[in-house]
Amino acid sequence: MQQQPYIEVNDLSFKYEEEPILTDITFTVDAGEFVMLTGENGAAKTTLLRNILGLLDPSTGEVNIASKNIKGEDLKVGYVPQQVSSFNIGFPSTVLELVESGRYPQNRWFKKLDKKDKEHVKRSLDSVGMWDARHKKIGELSGGQKQRISLARVFAMDPDLFVLDEPTVGMDSDSRKAFYELLKHNTEVHNKGILMVTHDHLELRPYVDKHIELVRKENSPWRCFSMDS
Amino acid sequence: MEMFLYGFMRQAFQASFLISLIAPILGLFLILRRQTLLADTLSHVSLVGVALGLLLGINPTWTNIFVVILISVLLEYIRAAYKSYSEISIAILMSGGMAVALVLMSLSDGSSMSLNNFLFGSIVTISFEQVLFLLFMTIGVLVLYALFKRPMYVLTFDEETAYTAGLPVQFMSIAFNVITGITIAVVMPIVGALLVSAIMILPAAISMRLSKSFTGVILIGIVIAMIGMFGGLAISYFVGTPPGATITLIFLVLFFMILIGERLFK
Repeated sequence: MQQQPYIEVNDLSFKYEEEPILTDITFTVDAGEFVMLTGENGAAKTTLLRNILGLLDPSTGEVNIASKNIKGEDLKVGYVPQQVSSFNIGFPSTVLELVESGRYPQNRWFKKLDKKDKEHVKRSLDSVGMWDARHKKIGELSGGQKQRISLARVFAMDPDLFVLDEPTVGMDSDSRKAFYELLKHNTEVHNKGILMVTHDHLELRPYVDKHIELVRKENSPWRCFSMDS
Repeated sequence: MEMFLYGFMRQAFQASFLISLIAPILGLFLILRRQTLLADTLSHVSLVGVALGLLLGINPTWTNIFVVILISVLLEYIRAAYKSYSEISIAILMSGGMAVALVLMSLSDGSSMSLNNFLFGSIVTISFEQVLFLLFMTIGVLVLYALFKRPMYVLTFDEETAYTAGLPVQFMSIAFNVITGITIAVVMPIVGALLVSAIMILPAAISMRLSKSFTGVILIGIVIAMIGMFGGLAISYFVGTPPGATITLIFLVLFFMILIGERLFK
């Protein structure tokens, strides 16, 4: 495993209006490292991810995402939001179109997908068992299927850094374990970095390299969370 | 086909053909970005551009394009500031645009005829220069769509994943608003401010019910736009009804036929 930090969070705190939500958060996610982020409901796990991704600005402290991967190429970030909440139900698209869009950040914004891209898309859909549903309209899928094609889309992207927010919601136990194996394979063999929010921490623990738990800060009048020390 | 013997009808059909090619593309993105009322807002605001042009004695198309670009950029900032209440900006700009336009019109004498033309459109009095202008606009929009359809697909599906995938989300949103604004400024004198949004939104809204795929929705939308516009022009020629209103009514009839068809056959 190569020690190159893909994510560096230094002394991050975040306030919503004047109320502190997160404080004293410091950790790294390296290339080839699988990091699990846990915490009770409402522990601001998603807020932390959004700070890391630049969708929210930290109140103090800083977040650095590496600009290059370990091969010296531009680093690509694949993000799967929580519960596919942003899944645009009425969006007129087939499963295949959506998963193919995962390839666009691989220098395909202005080029047609080639044979290699299409094979990658097929592998991604196969890995979540959705190849046979490729011509379905995405709005017709069940919640679990939507979750799976969101994951297929991020696998199709082949990012260097995966940021996954509760990606296994709606999956059965066997599918979850196969998914964890796939992620572990990606870190060990392909040096991908993974930061994953989950509630299944007991189940996931054997697969991860690091566990970050957000816990409620004692002696604070606010519902403010920090790292378990 | 006696109506094609008249130059004004030939030009009306040429303009309709060009509008049909671009309206469903912009319309689909407007619907999916939940900006359906943007077309309406910009068409009302563009009346300010028209009124300004008439007051200053400049070609209203140019003042119109200038005002619409300005407002398109402003709208993106207001949309970001009032994310949950974006209709506030629409209400303000729509009524404000109309009010400013009417005040400006009252300051310039004898041009109420021109404002009427812009409000209700005059597709059958369209000039060759306007068709030419529309042709350049259509080529521009089609080229931009061909180049940027992939980034726009990702941006439209979800802005947050688009941002994390490295797309310049705000710049693209503003650029899209500006291109929509310029299109409206060019199309508005032809179909009228009151019907611009119907022509941009309805073909895409109808075709969304007919196709599973993104590309399919755009292609079917183009066919529907042509049916509505050509049909509306022909009916208005033979029956003597206003062209813009007739076109819109055909879209509405198609919309309800498809709704009923869905009930009967699904």
